[in-house]
Amino acid sequence: MTVLLEMKERLKLIYSKGEPFLLPLVKFLLAFITFNTLNGRIGYMTQLNNVAVVLIVALTCSFLPVGAMVFFAAVFSLVHMYTLSMEVALVGGCVYLVMYLLFFRFSPGDSLVVVLTPLMCLWKIPYVVPIVVGLLCGPASAVSVGCGVVVYYLVEAVIGSASNINTMGDEEIVGKIRIVIEALVSDKAMLVVIAAFAVTILVVYFLRRMSIDYSWTIAMIAGVMINVVILLIGDLLYDINISVGGALLGSLLAIVIAKIVEFFRFCVDYSRVEKVQFEDDEYYYYVKAVPKMAVSVSTKTVKKINSQQTRAAGGRGSASRHTGRINQPARSEERNGADRGAAGERGASRRAVSGERVSTGRDTAGERQTMARGRGGTGRGQRNPAYPQSRSNVTIGSTVRQDTVRNVREDAPEDFEELF
Amino acid sequence: MLNEERVILMTRMASYEMGEGRENVKIGNYFRSDYIAIQVIKAVISASIVFAIVFSLYISYNFEEFMRQLYEMDLLAFGRNVLFWFAGTVLGYGVLAYVACSWRYAKARKSLKHYYQNLKKLNSLYNEM
Repeated sequence: MTVLLEMKERLKLIYSKGEPFLLPLVKFLLAFITFNTLNGRIGYMTQLNNVAVVLIVALTCSFLPVGAMVFFAAVFSLVHMYTLSMEVALVGGCVYLVMYLLFFRFSPGDSLVVVLTPLMCLWKIPYVVPIVVGLLCGPASAVSVGCGVVVYYLVEAVIGSASNINTMGDEEIVGKIRIVIEALVSDKAMLVVIAAFAVTILVVYFLRRMSIDYSWTIAMIAGVMINVVILLIGDLLYDINISVGGALLGSLLAIVIAKIVEFFRFCVDYSRVEKVQFEDDEYYYYVKAVPKMAVSVSTKTVKKINSQQTRAAGGRGSASRHTGRINQPARSEERNGADRGAAGERGASRRAVSGERVSTGRDTAGERQTMARGRGGTGRGQRNPAYPQSRSNVTIGSTVRQDTVRNVREDAPEDFEELF
Repeated sequence: MLNEERVILMTRMASYEMGEGRENVKIGNYFRSDYIAIQVIKAVISASIVFAIVFSLYISYNFEEFMRQLYEMDLLAFGRNVLFWFAGTVLGYGVLAYVACSWRYAKARKSLKHYYQNLKKLNSLYNEM
């Protein structure tokens, strides 16, 4: 679990660092997959099937809001329908317009759901949608999922009617419209799936918001069960030929994906739940606090110490003689570890003679060890110029001088390069 | 000197302004009655267009039967029936839009209130300096 949590933190770190590039990339990939899937499924206009066209439109979508992807996907499907028959495109356009006017007005932020729902249906994993949407979105998203289901069944109706439409002449306008509408309206499976998905979303949403332990897991399992039950009832009532095995396998897959979503979105430790009770003038409070599971990612920090500038007001020769490593750290970097270690020991012995504290600061033991290793010293009693100290009085023999040691920390970024 | 609390507050507020806050500020510029009235009018227009589309599709679907019965049917009763359905659709959608917009306005005002509280807090943090 710790490894997974570390991986999650790393992913979050990567995302936060590369968000300006990752977000357009994800949008581009999603748009590319969507348009390609659409072309592969309908694909009546050969010019649109060209990869270059898809790439250009997908690139355009990557810099536009997600709503643009919905728009272009609708345009793609309408153009394909138009190639099949103008009447089919007319019906398709009417359906899109009705959905836009009636439903998108209430949930404009769910464009992604409208794109992903038909995509998941085409990939034969539709049961993932209501569970994940119920976990991540609100109850209003049921409308968007319903619209996505309608789009899928519209595409399927067009594909199913294509052979009949192709055999009809240009003068049979009403006949073509009738075929498409009939294929869409008479499909009871669409209504059953919309109802099942809407109920599932509501159940998952309300259960996962309840103040019970493992609410997300309970919500997803209950959602999956209700989804399957409604689909089976619909199958019994309307004979829509839903594969029971497919529904169960799809539901299992939905749980797996929902667990992954839960891990990234709602990773809490129910074994450390705290329940507290207190009151103020107006209320009694019964608070249940569930701690999140999180680990800090270990980062590698490489500190490169370039130079140390010292200001010696007087007695420079003496100071140099006694504390040459302080005044000339650039040269000391070039020396080998043994030499530096010896120098450290010399410094230690001199400080012992002076009897005064030489190194002060807020540095931690870890930093001391790190710095000591870098200088080849032992880290104990060694005068290390890289110690984070702002100003220290150094007494060497009879010479007292104010030695300013530069602070090699975040506030002096020119002195080191920080990598992670 | 950086004030950590101030930076966190400003980051949250900037994130809000870039995201849902943009829409909420637009909503907050209206009085409640104005906002709801505009949205309901839009909903009525939308519902009318949708009704026209669906009615057209219905007529197209039943075109042959409709043409066959055109001279036999009671056109006045048919018109009344269509008007009944039109009124039902527009009224139903209008009521739905009214409820949804009232809820959305209340939510936006609450959110903006919290935002303005943060703004005041930020101002006080600046004055402390």
